[in-house]
Amino acid sequence: MLSFRLPGKATRTCDGVSRRHLLRLGAAGLLPALSLPRMLAAEETAGPSGRRARAKSCIFIFLEGGPPQQDMWDPKPDAPVEIRGPFAPISTSVPGTIFTEHCGNCAKIAHKFTVVRSHSHNDNGHATGYHYVMTGRRPTFADGEHPIPTNELYPSLGSMVARELGSGGGTVPPYINMPHPMGAGGPGFFGAEYAPFVIEADPSQPDFEVKDLGQLEGLSAARQARRQRMLAGLEKDRQRAGRAAAMSTYYSKAYDLITSPAARRAFNVREEPEKLRENYGLTQIGQSALLARRLVEAGCRFVGVDAPGWDVHFNCFPSLEGDLIPPADKAFAALVNDLEARGMLDSTLVVMMGEMGRTPRVNAQAGRDHWSMAQCILFAGGGTRPGQIIGATDKQAAAPTRDPISVADLLHTVCSLLGIDSHKTYDDPLGRPVPLVDGGKMIPGLLA
Amino acid sequence: MFVMHTSRGFLSCFLTLVGGVLAAGVVFGQGWEVSPASILMDRPESSQQVLVTQLDGATRRDATRDAKYAIGSPNVARVDAAGRVTPLADGTTELIIELAGVTRRIPLTVAQFSNPVPVSFAHEVIPVLTKSRCNSGGCHGKAEGQAGFKLSLFGFDAAADYEAIVRAGRGRRIMLASPERSLLLAKGAALVPHGGGLKLDADSPGHRRLARWIAAGAPRESADERAVVSIEVEPREVVIAAEGVQQLRVTAIDAKGERRCVTAESDFVSNAPFVADVDAGGLVRASDVPGDTAVLVRYQGHVAVARFVLPRTAVAAVRLPERNFIDRLVWDKLAKMGLPPSPVSDDATFLRRVYLDVIGTLPTADEARRFLDDPAPGKRERLIGELLERPEYASYWAMKWSNLLRADKVKVTPQATVGLTRWLRRQFAMNRPYDQMVRDIFTAQGPIQNESPAAFFKAVDQPELASRSVSQLFLGVRIECAQCHHHPSERWGQDDYAGLVGFFTGVGTKKLPDGGEAIIAKTGSDAKHPRSGEIVPARVLGGLAADFTGERDRRRVLAAWATAPDNPFFAKAIANRLWAHYFGRGLVEPIDDLRATNPATNEPLLAALEAHLREVKFDLKAFTRTLLSSSVYQLSSETHAGNQDDRQHFSHASPKALPAEVLLDAVCQTTGVPEKFNGWPLGVRAVEVWDNRMPSYFFRIFGRPVRATVCECERSNEPSIAQALHLMNSPEINAKITHRVGLARQWADSPRTADQLIEEVYLAVLARRPRPGELEIARQAFAVAPASQVGAAETGVVQTGVVQTGVAETSVATPDASRMRREAVEDILWTLLNSKEFLYVH
Repeated sequence: MLSFRLPGKATRTCDGVSRRHLLRLGAAGLLPALSLPRMLAAEETAGPSGRRARAKSCIFIFLEGGPPQQDMWDPKPDAPVEIRGPFAPISTSVPGTIFTEHCGNCAKIAHKFTVVRSHSHNDNGHATGYHYVMTGRRPTFADGEHPIPTNELYPSLGSMVARELGSGGGTVPPYINMPHPMGAGGPGFFGAEYAPFVIEADPSQPDFEVKDLGQLEGLSAARQARRQRMLAGLEKDRQRAGRAAAMSTYYSKAYDLITSPAARRAFNVREEPEKLRENYGLTQIGQSALLARRLVEAGCRFVGVDAPGWDVHFNCFPSLEGDLIPPADKAFAALVNDLEARGMLDSTLVVMMGEMGRTPRVNAQAGRDHWSMAQCILFAGGGTRPGQIIGATDKQAAAPTRDPISVADLLHTVCSLLGIDSHKTYDDPLGRPVPLVDGGKMIPGLLA
Repeated sequence: MFVMHTSRGFLSCFLTLVGGVLAAGVVFGQGWEVSPASILMDRPESSQQVLVTQLDGATRRDATRDAKYAIGSPNVARVDAAGRVTPLADGTTELIIELAGVTRRIPLTVAQFSNPVPVSFAHEVIPVLTKSRCNSGGCHGKAEGQAGFKLSLFGFDAAADYEAIVRAGRGRRIMLASPERSLLLAKGAALVPHGGGLKLDADSPGHRRLARWIAAGAPRESADERAVVSIEVEPREVVIAAEGVQQLRVTAIDAKGERRCVTAESDFVSNAPFVADVDAGGLVRASDVPGDTAVLVRYQGHVAVARFVLPRTAVAAVRLPERNFIDRLVWDKLAKMGLPPSPVSDDATFLRRVYLDVIGTLPTADEARRFLDDPAPGKRERLIGELLERPEYASYWAMKWSNLLRADKVKVTPQATVGLTRWLRRQFAMNRPYDQMVRDIFTAQGPIQNESPAAFFKAVDQPELASRSVSQLFLGVRIECAQCHHHPSERWGQDDYAGLVGFFTGVGTKKLPDGGEAIIAKTGSDAKHPRSGEIVPARVLGGLAADFTGERDRRRVLAAWATAPDNPFFAKAIANRLWAHYFGRGLVEPIDDLRATNPATNEPLLAALEAHLREVKFDLKAFTRTLLSSSVYQLSSETHAGNQDDRQHFSHASPKALPAEVLLDAVCQTTGVPEKFNGWPLGVRAVEVWDNRMPSYFFRIFGRPVRATVCECERSNEPSIAQALHLMNSPEINAKITHRVGLARQWADSPRTADQLIEEVYLAVLARRPRPGELEIARQAFAVAPASQVGAAETGVVQTGVVQTGVAETSVATPDASRMRREAVEDILWTLLNSKEFLYVH
């Protein structure tokens, strides 16, 4: 009953084997590595539930502003220079897969993660695109000035995860943003309970401290204990119900965070060996990725790392090769290696993406403009099959030519990997049952 | 399809009962009854729900599942244990019901089984899709459909659905030659992979009916004689026991007056599932939580309601003093529910509650002391009157209404936000009658930066947005649903929506020479039906086409209708909104969703409040005074075993979270350190900050509304860990507590005794004096060396090193001693600011 939709025209891979042929081989059991995941994916789509959690946590690195697909993970070396840009392609640890020269760290471990090259949607604004990617809902506002979070109505992916999976067992909150709130990372109508706990500080700074978690100046441990003792004494005999009871549990969690050495340590990125910190890069994105790993270890379910600065309209290449790509490349590679070394990669899904890609043609100011039609998403761990390129774009990296992936597909895939039923509904404030994700299918071939 | 001959059916049923009673010689009202009196099923897929009710005096108990059923000729029909009869072959027989040793028989006829009339697409196919949720909002019913197959939401557009099923997708969804292999059926029965899984079992009547329709050539009839004109649900009013059950029956009545049982095809929703929930077959199961609920029944765009009351039993009614009609009606309801009210709260609780509710401000320690120590009778009424005259009343209510009227500085400009806020503050300060105030809002025009409500029409700058915002906010009708589809639980359809839009089509904006903008009223035009594109004459909700003779601004006609004495929505909506503010929960919830299918938990009370509001001519202060003077408002929030589960009937006060702005002001007032808002003069209170976009960590984590909707629900009062951390351990709050000119420092530097200091902090933060045990705990702070207490047993009582309490400490000499005293006050202040009592209105 399973059937695969084949492209009308057989496309050839670089070694001359047609896709149609590959599939036939696969069906005959000769290429299980290729066909099995696809069949599983088809099953996953077909089954009404099939909800097995592959990952326990997700680290979601958001390259805010729109990373250029063709200058990073989807190079087009055969395109004219005004398309391909100045960066040279390099080979990777996976034969046949190429990145650009500034993704050298990831190139070395290309066999440990998978690139989806065919993510595509049609919202070309920053705030609106971010909203769309994080919530799966079309924003009702125009791009411009917005409060953060922008998702006033619909919950973001992180809030969905927080609501569905709850605490991971430790003291740390289930949903954390850093080093500032994600543009569309809010809880929407789920309410403050599912809002991210935001670390509004840069973990690469020497004075890095988590808001409201530090030792208060001038408050001795003795006074701290006295305060807590008095508070406990007052609250002991009071009956609490409803929200007040919930607030009590948050108070005890907050108290644990302030006082429990284990919880405080989770936030203390300085405890990491200097060598490892350097592996991640002493950058905002690098140390955020490292801190994200610590928080996942401590039980956090969804860490959203917001890495801004990718909106490169003018003279983009110096900043891409100087400030943007190498830190992201380094952070992602180090995170994957580190998770793997600790045996956490299977249970931790790592995603790196932005709200859009960038225009195929370099503009008159030597920059690239907004282009949401073609984007790359990096997936590692969490039950995904590594070493693949999924989907493809045309020769200008302008539009998907194979397996186009929608925002709904992305959200459904992340939910499913975390064992969340993405079709579960909650009533919105108007009383309408709203599914976590409207539709969406598993990204084909992504499952291990 | 079965036909119940209403009058004759009722009569024969009655006679049966009387006969039974006479024969058995028992008291009238004992025994049991069954309905309907006869069954006719004239479709192969029909079914008939039988209801059996046991009578015991005035009590009626559902015994549908206790009775034993049999069919005289089992080849004609089948009956299951739940009393549902389905046809098997043409013929006449009887249904035999046996309960408590008594047997009754009902004539049963199956007709047109082997040679049925053709299936109607609109009236018989669509209900199957609706019941199976194929056309629900999460599936093919959503705007973009699902996997290429798009149906109209809840099947309100038969023409489009016919097109989608029969013609779209190159006709691949149905296979006339082999109906069972139609994609429509194969997907529904999950015989081929289906994203939605199994929705319509291959054995089900619905599946068989779809197959029969396809086999007949998938016709689309034009005659409408089978259109359902109304539905009925039985029973409509039920007093149900804890853990009890009740089977519902739904009957559809068509244009010819024929009745058929559609229980199996209807949708059921309980609006308070924690009291009683309902399953897909119409079986209601009560919980053990006393309360009441309405079960909404939906079939083919028609709605009906069955109301359930689950009283607590064996409870003697308690009626507290009646200060006004509110008390009478609430005590009536509580007596009916078996819920004894909590006692009236003490003065301190009332004091704090009424301050926070009316003016969003805590009483100061002095104000608290004055009130608590005032022995004069009637001080509560006096306080209510005083608070309503305070300037903070106007500021607080202006803030609330700025949120609702969407005074968003990005959308309407900062100047216009100020203009609207000022206008609102003036309305509340002068106690403008609500109907006049709203008339001004409805018809606002002129420069938006002026002190006027004109900015509202800049915030809701499309006729569609304006109409649904006005409808939800001022009429309590969520017509928004009807923009895209017929309202799923109301009579409103897309034509009602378009009719309302027609009042706002003349609203425009004009650029002014000074760079500002003005709202202008042009001649409007009727709006288009969102689906058909036909012009729908402007009309008020539930009314006829509006007459605009002599009116240039169409909104004036709407305003006149809304504020007219006989408007069914306007007064009720604001009465419920104000009730919800003061009592923590609307009589109708959500507060802006008033409809027949969402009844108030105390309808006589809502009606009386509505009448009272008209009586006082929409004087909001007078109305508020009535609310607050009632014993009900002044009840304690402490519950007892008899009413702790009550969430709907106001047998006790419900704690309410302090809104973000009020909480911040309360922290500032009790620490004596105002918040410095960036760009604002020092001393401005959070409640007064009109800038809805002002970056503030506090506002963000405590859920200040961003003014994106006209819904009160935009304000999030849910607790979070970030809130707890911030109050407990933030440098910002700590800086206020320890500020060198803050109240803690002032108190500590005063010649008060330790106990006097403790009392001062209690009065300032909690508006009450400490209880003995609390005093004991707070005295710990005055221990000589806090360090010595580390590791001490947490008994709550410190044995050693306590400064002599109760004795005037005039000899605070050493810098060390004065520092310790200061720290003690700071720590007590911290403790009370972090108590749950501080965070909630009790």
